[in-house]
Amino acid sequence: MRPYKVLIFIACVMAGLAALCVVLPGRVAWGEKELHWPTLAQVLEISTDTLASMEIDSIALEEFPEYEDSVPATPQYVAPPTVHVDSVTDSRIFLSAFYASLAETSHKTVRILHYGDSQIEEDRMTQQIREAFQSRYGGAGCGLMPLAQTIPSLAVKQRLMMNDRFVTPAQGPRRYMVYAPKRDQRADGLYGPMGQVAVMNDSLVHGSEEITAICTPLYKGPLYTRWKVFADTSVHYSLAGDTVRLSGRGNVYGLSQESSAGVIVDNIPMRGCLGIVFTKMDRNQLTTFYREQNVRLIIMQFGGNAIPSNQNPGTIFAIVKGLREQVQYIHSCTPDASILFIGPSDMLTQIDGEWQTYPMVPYMDRLLRKMALEENIAYFSLYRWMGGSGSMARWQEIGLAGSDGVHFQRSGARKAGNAVANWILEGMSNE
Amino acid sequence: MSDFLHHILAFDADSPLLFTQFYFWAFFALVFAVFALIMEAVPDRLGNKKLHLRNIYLFFVSWFFYYKTSGLFLLILAFITLSDWLIAGRIKSAITHQKIPIAKLWLTLSVVIDLSLLFYFKYAYFFTNVINDFLGTDVRVFDIFAYIGNGFAQAGRFSVDTIILPVGISFYIFQVISYTCDVFRGRIQPVKNILDFGFYVSFFPQLVAGPIVRAEEFIPQLYKPYRLSRRWFGIAVFWIINGLAKKIIMSDYLAVNLIDRVFDNPLLFSGFENLFAVFAYSLQVYADFSGYTDIAIGVAMLMGFYLPMNFNSPYKSQTPQEFWRRWHMSLGRWLKTYLYIPLGGNRTIFGFKVKKLWAANFNSFITQVLGGLWHGASWNFVLWGAINGAGMIVEKIWREWNWHIRFAAMTLLTFCLCALDYIFNLPVWRMFAVWAAIVWVGTAIRYIYYLCQGADNKFTKAMATAWAIVQTFTFITFTRLFFRSSSNLDPATANEVAWATAKNMVNQIGGAWENAVILPFLWEYRWVVAMFVAGMVIHWLPTDWKRRYRLWFSAMPLWLMVMIVCLAIIVIYQFVTADMQPFIYFQF
Repeated sequence: MRPYKVLIFIACVMAGLAALCVVLPGRVAWGEKELHWPTLAQVLEISTDTLASMEIDSIALEEFPEYEDSVPATPQYVAPPTVHVDSVTDSRIFLSAFYASLAETSHKTVRILHYGDSQIEEDRMTQQIREAFQSRYGGAGCGLMPLAQTIPSLAVKQRLMMNDRFVTPAQGPRRYMVYAPKRDQRADGLYGPMGQVAVMNDSLVHGSEEITAICTPLYKGPLYTRWKVFADTSVHYSLAGDTVRLSGRGNVYGLSQESSAGVIVDNIPMRGCLGIVFTKMDRNQLTTFYREQNVRLIIMQFGGNAIPSNQNPGTIFAIVKGLREQVQYIHSCTPDASILFIGPSDMLTQIDGEWQTYPMVPYMDRLLRKMALEENIAYFSLYRWMGGSGSMARWQEIGLAGSDGVHFQRSGARKAGNAVANWILEGMSNE
Repeated sequence: MSDFLHHILAFDADSPLLFTQFYFWAFFALVFAVFALIMEAVPDRLGNKKLHLRNIYLFFVSWFFYYKTSGLFLLILAFITLSDWLIAGRIKSAITHQKIPIAKLWLTLSVVIDLSLLFYFKYAYFFTNVINDFLGTDVRVFDIFAYIGNGFAQAGRFSVDTIILPVGISFYIFQVISYTCDVFRGRIQPVKNILDFGFYVSFFPQLVAGPIVRAEEFIPQLYKPYRLSRRWFGIAVFWIINGLAKKIIMSDYLAVNLIDRVFDNPLLFSGFENLFAVFAYSLQVYADFSGYTDIAIGVAMLMGFYLPMNFNSPYKSQTPQEFWRRWHMSLGRWLKTYLYIPLGGNRTIFGFKVKKLWAANFNSFITQVLGGLWHGASWNFVLWGAINGAGMIVEKIWREWNWHIRFAAMTLLTFCLCALDYIFNLPVWRMFAVWAAIVWVGTAIRYIYYLCQGADNKFTKAMATAWAIVQTFTFITFTRLFFRSSSNLDPATANEVAWATAKNMVNQIGGAWENAVILPFLWEYRWVVAMFVAGMVIHWLPTDWKRRYRLWFSAMPLWLMVMIVCLAIIVIYQFVTADMQPFIYFQF
């Protein structure tokens, strides 16, 4: 075949495709589906990649007085309404009670609970907060862990034995979780502070199961000096080194490796959770735990799980309303503790083949901040700290974020954890 | 307008010319237009001059392509081209004058220069890391080329703390090594014109990701006139469309919607999801790599150049050894010719004559390990190569045994793994025990059939073949747990991530299977599952069927072919713009 014929073939294919670009308006409805085809302008457009020039850390974490957003409206997403946020102040003023409590760390423990979604699994981000506070105010140990650790942690490695035989967490005691599907929830709300409970000898009439948890610390910081076991009085336990041996029958809400003074920081990940679960947890139990364990700061890091499945501003608004109720509930359980809310990170999805920020991320960020200021709690905008819209793509490029456009890599989590810790600590020096 | 021209002509690290992007095809259309003009307008009576003009043109086009992809690393390509062209001439001259030791010295110099550059750019971090690990030092890499570059440009223009891997260096270094070796062995004559040689080294369709074209396969084509039959034209178009579909549908779509997210965070997914992702990853790697080379082969063919086949349905292999004969065939042939045989092949180990089987096993194992290191500069790739090498050896030994020993060995292995699982109850032993039990069942059936002296018939042969294919595919798939790495620059990170990923995936597969997730997963990810199943079914179609539909496509009228190509591109584009598959657990 002569080269000119090949050239004509190539030209015909390109002309045919270009004609489609002219004829089709970008998207054509085809039943319930849409047929996508770019316009000529889109094909010839030279993408100006603003991300390439974006510097990580270039955006200082300020309080963004105007807090203005321009949310891209794409056909498949409903453009969210404008949210006006008061140009208040540094929200860290709402951490004053926590800052004051740190004076007590020389003779007793001050506890920080870090609740969050999958972004904090494996002790991510919590680890840096713990290291920052323990190096400054003393304290040791990784804090709370569940009896059956289904998700490994970088802080502690757990092996479980049942009647002296190694078992996997799934083969271990029956677990109920406040953030699990209905079949794994319980009606009485007795989940303990971690939102999950393991029930010893749940299925047996006569409790004969003995459970041994060998929990080896993995972190490099100072080692814990004591164990705590949060369980019903009907559960008996003995301690030896890194091993806890439990028998009897009843609920085990968690184990803790900690020191007798200083700061204890607990990592409590709730996979897939929107954060609207605390009101299902027993008030008395939470109140007692928070008081007795001297919990002085509660960090709530939620919102990200709402983004991918909800493209409607109304739904996002309702979810933030639900989160507000959780904040109020926790506040009512422990009025003396400070609360810090960490909003979702930047999150990416593919829109017309391009990785872009979910249009609802900036909207949710604004709503959460508004809610936080109205509820007198501190707010850390992870989204803005990262660099705002599209910053996750930059994080991916330099290996700080995973390819799903949602989760941090460990290095990214370290960076974010350090930023949160420094932000809290700097707030104290500003006081 | 100046911005537009700058974008078209200047190097931009963020927008290289990729086969899957419009800009590449616009570039190719322009290149082919000028190419056609040369071939049509220059009279045939000019003979070699016409071919020379074509080669020079494609040489400069290829350099522009590389510049767009890698910027100033073009200088490395230029240096390699010049150095090996000069040395090949010296080798030939020495051989002509019967000075074999001198020729050997020149060949050694050429290989040392080539491998030094490869080691510098690709393995600097790896060896620095090894030195630091063994000696407890804190040596850092220092980019001497950046330092020199800063002397010419303004200070600080290039970072001296980072050594960036030039795109395609592993491929073109191997090509030039094959050239000087082939000249030394007398298989080819050295190329007289440096531009012709430069064209061989840098021919743009295969420059950045192969296939690795050996000198003796390609250089003779430089002097042959353009020839493309109607049928071969159709085949070339088929390879291009086939490659695009593989890359975008089977590779990118599966990767973005499932595989990447599972490998990034295995603990977020159940054991079943992890297992599915590992198998899907096997398909993705194949579709990605073979899709790219399919396009390269098709594009080269349109310009009248024939590149070697690089993949031959590798997941149809019945043994690991056969797999490596079907997978990345151009690399396999290269390693065999320039590494395995010089190491001693099946005759010697380090020059000592030993039993044939020992020599073959030892040298093929070393070749696999080094082949692993070629794929990436970190220990996980070495481990991956070693597991593949070990698999080949075990399979060879297995073949030597009779059925009584095979069954006894498999029973013992299964018993041991089940015992380990019972005692330690660790996910890794659970996974191996289940795998061994499945293999044991297959072995037992074949053993019983053997004891009953059952005759081989079509059905039993087909069953045995299918069983062997599934076992080999499963083995190769599990080696890929170590194949995926997050960093090419920092081997410590690459090792840490690869090891953590493999460990977490095994933990989930062996310890958090979660049957309840299977049905929701299959439903929610139905498109991903459908693409995976379709990909495997197409892959396993009989070779003859595939040949037939290729021929059917190539023989269709051109107007119909234009329409089918347009339709195929429209379908492929739907996968580019498809909505992301949400995480199941987001819906809790």
